[in-house]
Amino acid sequence: MNADYATGGTSAPPVIRGPRESIPAWIDPSPWLALARGATLTDARRALDSAQPGEAEFAALLSSAAGGLLEEMALRARDLTRRHFGNTVSLYVPLYLSDFCSGGCVYCGFASDRPQSRRKLGKEELIRELDALKGMGFEEILLLTGERTPQAGLAYLRDGVAEAARRFAAVTVEAFPMLTEEYRALVDAGAIGVTIYQETYEPVQYEQLHRWGPKRDFANRLDTPTRVLEGGMRMAGMGTLLGLSDPLVDTISLYRHAMHLRRRYWQSGVSLSFPRVCPQEGGYVPPFPVSDRYLAQIIFAFRICMPDVPLVLSTREAPGFRDGMAGVGINKMSIASRTTVGGYGQPAESPDGQFHVNDDRDIETFCAMLKGKGLEPVFKNWDKVYR
Amino acid sequence: MNGDLKLKLGGQEFASRLIVGTGKFSSVEVMLEAIKASGAELVTVALRRFNRERPSDDLMAPLARLGVTLIPNTSGARNAEEAIRAAMLGRELSGSSFVKVEIHPNPHHLMPDPIETYEASRVLAKEGFIVLPYMPADPVLAKRLEDAGCAAVMPLGSAIGTGHGLSTAEMVKLIIADSGIPVIVDAGIRSPSEAAAAMEMGCSAVLVNSAIAAAGIPAAMASAFAAAVNAGYSARQAGIMSRCDHAVATSPLTNFLS
Repeated sequence: MNADYATGGTSAPPVIRGPRESIPAWIDPSPWLALARGATLTDARRALDSAQPGEAEFAALLSSAAGGLLEEMALRARDLTRRHFGNTVSLYVPLYLSDFCSGGCVYCGFASDRPQSRRKLGKEELIRELDALKGMGFEEILLLTGERTPQAGLAYLRDGVAEAARRFAAVTVEAFPMLTEEYRALVDAGAIGVTIYQETYEPVQYEQLHRWGPKRDFANRLDTPTRVLEGGMRMAGMGTLLGLSDPLVDTISLYRHAMHLRRRYWQSGVSLSFPRVCPQEGGYVPPFPVSDRYLAQIIFAFRICMPDVPLVLSTREAPGFRDGMAGVGINKMSIASRTTVGGYGQPAESPDGQFHVNDDRDIETFCAMLKGKGLEPVFKNWDKVYR
Repeated sequence: MNGDLKLKLGGQEFASRLIVGTGKFSSVEVMLEAIKASGAELVTVALRRFNRERPSDDLMAPLARLGVTLIPNTSGARNAEEAIRAAMLGRELSGSSFVKVEIHPNPHHLMPDPIETYEASRVLAKEGFIVLPYMPADPVLAKRLEDAGCAAVMPLGSAIGTGHGLSTAEMVKLIIADSGIPVIVDAGIRSPSEAAAAMEMGCSAVLVNSAIAAAGIPAAMASAFAAAVNAGYSARQAGIMSRCDHAVATSPLTNFLS
């Protein structure tokens, strides 16, 4: 029986059949899919009660049966989150440097066949944006670009990192896959982490969704977090874009991939994010929509099985969901985000963001919510001295 | 064992033998209340939580106003070089010569790196810092750190934040038996009874953070820890009876021979 991913539905989602030969054995979800699809309530309870949950328990906690234990999963997730991260939620803000893109991602508002005009922040604009964000109190900034283009390549990104590093305690990057030495250059410029989503671990689906450009290279993308850490970054941010493929395949693969990296790069960390694809410019409808309830279950399963890994939730999600997950699995969140290029330095909002921001609350409102839940918003949890 | 009533560290004396950490609290106000209730005079704070630009996000200034002695810690450092830089900046910003050397490069269990910890402690002691290294409960390393000029050693009871108590008790006893400097158990303590046990064992002080921050009423728990640390210390001073495998009558059987 398949998990009930979408709201209210009980029908099985379409199964993608295709070769997984291109997936290394240490990522391949196959050994655990049968358990995740067929776990009984007893299996799920045993997983939930396990003192040292591992891959089998993770799979069982993703099952339909475990959905019946959601409240108990939430309780354990909350206890573990508070044990490892305290009564705090770390805050960060994204800044899109450029929406030039060479990629043809079916689901993305920045894909290169979208008709919108493209732009990138010039030096003065960048400084204005960084100063505006600094003035808002942020100390951790995530700099984003599209896939690699002549307009926004490594040199442009490196300059942006260096400029941000002069102002912010923590600078991280979400851009295009790079070579190890390119990541090393970003470390030297002041970056401490890189987020790179696999999008989906289903090779066939991946190929269909990424229609052209360097991003079509599934194996290269899969190897990117390794190069991130090999290049000296302290943190590799990982995730899949939920909705693109069978979430069981993607979440189990993600879990295995993350576990592999933390064993190999023991002096670095991984963090996990849970973006859900939503209808974009181009009208993409996700084939495997993930309901609020199942997204919560996925996050709780990760927290229970990876208690010390930072779990991140962005403003893609609506206020009600974010409020409910804060401190209950999730320990790091963005706020006051804009998904357009720039937009913080001047108030006018342009309509061509990468995705729709569902939580558009300001910092004060959001922090008041956290405080109301007994959670301390933390803006600065790093220091330049550690670069 | 330190038989003085006051804790002596780096040429200074402190009436309280409870040191409190400042992470994980639900608000600065809750943290300050807990510290007041604990009676702690020594408080650790992570350099990465110093925020001079957003007072509402800053931990250092409100602690300084409280009048406690700050022990900046180097949490976040992956190696000795980073820890030394952090210590220097911490001293500059806080004005305190105390430093808690924390080098735990593996983010998943936060176990201290003995090699880097030793190196950073050695350099910082030479630089005039009052060095308190967070360390694995290793008796040999403890002596090496003492020889390197540390003011105290801080062996872990168990992994940070786990609340698994004094799982290293036998090693801590060996450290105490040989140590010429105060031994302060740091990390893992969950309940006041465990803090009391550490003091009864002969520790000079204990450092508690998560157990207070995660309590239902942090200030009340801080107060309970203060009482437990005092009780454990007083018990140790009073001389705790030794264990014996057989019953020993309070009216000995051989009285008739005297």
